[in-house]
Amino acid sequence: MFLRLKIAGAASAFALCVGASAAQADVLFWSTQAKPVEEAQAMREQVLNGAGEVDYQPNDAGPWLTRLNAELQAGSGTIGVLGALHGDFSAMDPEDLADLDDLGIGASSDTFNDLAKLGTGSSQYIPWMQASYIMAANKKALEYLPEGADINSLTYDQLIEWSANVMEATGEAKFGFPAGPKGLKHRFFQGYLYPSYTNGVVRTFASDSAVTAWEKMKELWAVTNPGSTNFSFLQEQLLNEDVWIAFDHTSRLASAFNERPDDFVAFPAPAGPEGRGFMPVIAGVAIPRTAPDMEASKALVAHMLKPETQIATLKATNFFPVIDVELPSDLPPSVQAAGAAIATMSSSPDANPGLLPAGLGDKGGDFNRVYVDTFERIVLAGQPIEQVLEDQKRALERIMEETGAPCWAPDAPSEGACPVE
Amino acid sequence: MTTANTDVVDVREDSRKAGRYVYVTAIVLLCAWVIVPLYFLLINTLSSPEAVNAYPKSFFPEFDLGSLTFFANFAGILTALKNSILVAAMTMVMSIAIGAPAGYALSRFEFRGKELFRLLILLTRAFPLPLLALPLAVLFIRTGIDDTVFGLALVHTTLAIPFAVLITFSLFSGIPLELEEAAWTLGCTRFTAFTKVILPLVLPGITASAIFAFVISWNEVFAAAVLTIENRTLTAFLLQNLDTSPLHLKFAGGFILVVPALIFIFAVRKYLFAMWGIANR
Repeated sequence: MFLRLKIAGAASAFALCVGASAAQADVLFWSTQAKPVEEAQAMREQVLNGAGEVDYQPNDAGPWLTRLNAELQAGSGTIGVLGALHGDFSAMDPEDLADLDDLGIGASSDTFNDLAKLGTGSSQYIPWMQASYIMAANKKALEYLPEGADINSLTYDQLIEWSANVMEATGEAKFGFPAGPKGLKHRFFQGYLYPSYTNGVVRTFASDSAVTAWEKMKELWAVTNPGSTNFSFLQEQLLNEDVWIAFDHTSRLASAFNERPDDFVAFPAPAGPEGRGFMPVIAGVAIPRTAPDMEASKALVAHMLKPETQIATLKATNFFPVIDVELPSDLPPSVQAAGAAIATMSSSPDANPGLLPAGLGDKGGDFNRVYVDTFERIVLAGQPIEQVLEDQKRALERIMEETGAPCWAPDAPSEGACPVE
Repeated sequence: MTTANTDVVDVREDSRKAGRYVYVTAIVLLCAWVIVPLYFLLINTLSSPEAVNAYPKSFFPEFDLGSLTFFANFAGILTALKNSILVAAMTMVMSIAIGAPAGYALSRFEFRGKELFRLLILLTRAFPLPLLALPLAVLFIRTGIDDTVFGLALVHTTLAIPFAVLITFSLFSGIPLELEEAAWTLGCTRFTAFTKVILPLVLPGITASAIFAFVISWNEVFAAAVLTIENRTLTAFLLQNLDTSPLHLKFAGGFILVVPALIFIFAVRKYLFAMWGIANR
């Protein structure tokens, strides 16, 4: 009986499977961005609505890259358009991406357009959207701000004092930091802490000012919720109030602002002696050389850069447009809050914008590892700062020499590989 | 003398009572181990986002269907569910069809390289899928079974076969050869002896390995994400996106992933119970 049922089941399974494999002519949009279910839904319904038949598939970085590499190796593919971060593209061979110069579109920022060339002479991807990292706080924390501190121009010292005040008042450490396994802590060190204290990332890695930076980091950690080593999306801890003051990626803070807009404030990252370091995040769209229908793919890329698509993308993903567009007034609370904080941050007199690491190729992950290891050894394991920096410096030097990557802002430009001084 | 006797009886009764307490506590703990997380999953699925983030948690659901409605409108979720069931069913059938004869052969016949074969069968689990996925995907694209339910079921079958072989091997080994021989003397062929005598005896074990195959296929994400695109399974479709989603949707998504598997296990549980000698028919 059971066996017969199973045989019948298998037969019908085969029949259905044959039926399901009929070809479909959708353009496959293979993305590492807009992954959360709500964002994926919004991408499908709002952003890609009107772009023709598009199948939007967000993925983890692992399957994303494996599938792409398989199609490149097999020489025939189903992926029409790739959506990913600058770092994902820079880890690829530019030969595998179609040149997009003939589209004649790009971001309004030339820096972004240059990054998108991936060291070649022509655009390998088109900048698609941008974001940054900001601070967010529960309004309950505001009354503990140190005297004379302006939330829009905090310094690291004031942030530490503020968090200490909150800790004293509530008995719990309420500063939150994305140090979890999926957290983006390395960007905090590369784009915020180091530029603010050393005006560099690579050159100044083991400098005296870097020692000061890590001392401050230890002070900050003392008033940080120790659960932070499990936090990867601070919106969750803001909402359940494990954390009152948080640093994270704008899109990882969004649901806090959208669910309880009146309870939270967004504000710029703090400043150090060398200014207010901050870093943009750039996502791009590209076309793999194996795309089944190059024309349809190019049309989709062009669609992503249209002003109305850029605004729809902003609403769907909390990533900001890369072209100059007039922002409408009906934006969700998270976008309004984050947009204002980023604007304040970039227009502040002491702004010290950094760039994403460039030219590292597939060593990008190793590069991040250096900063994460340094953090873990100094702050979590309590090892002596000078010693750890000296050790990690060698790992960093090796990466820079192997890749020959020149310095990027805020480091001073270099001839050849960026030196670790 | 008598007091000493009653003392002994008391002590015995006490220890029996204590034993009962331990027994009952163990059962309660084991049940709680399974049920409490599922119950919390259910409450949080049926709660509004505010209630999910609130603390302390309520013990009763407020029957807010917002999170579930979201998934009901999520494009492609039904197709993904159908694909998941198809792949899991095909994995079950294929891994039993291949694994059970292998298990039978291992337990009944002596042949050269038998020990090596038993070891080799485990080797399919020795390599992590992310390592195998790239060459597999290239091969699948070239042979044209890329992005089909059947192709993915093949991969899942490979993962499930070691369990199917080892479980059925120990089952067949537990059934005396004399039973089969008796059937042969009474006019059965090797095949009818198997279907009439052995198969009914091992059915519960086969169910168990079928459940293993089902669960392995149901839970597998990486190969599914790489090898299918239009025909995604539910896990590949949802699980990757859940880890970055807000908490209330994580719960609802988790619930949606768990329920079909639970229904399946409930449906086949009577075959499973029979394995431990508690026929429940």
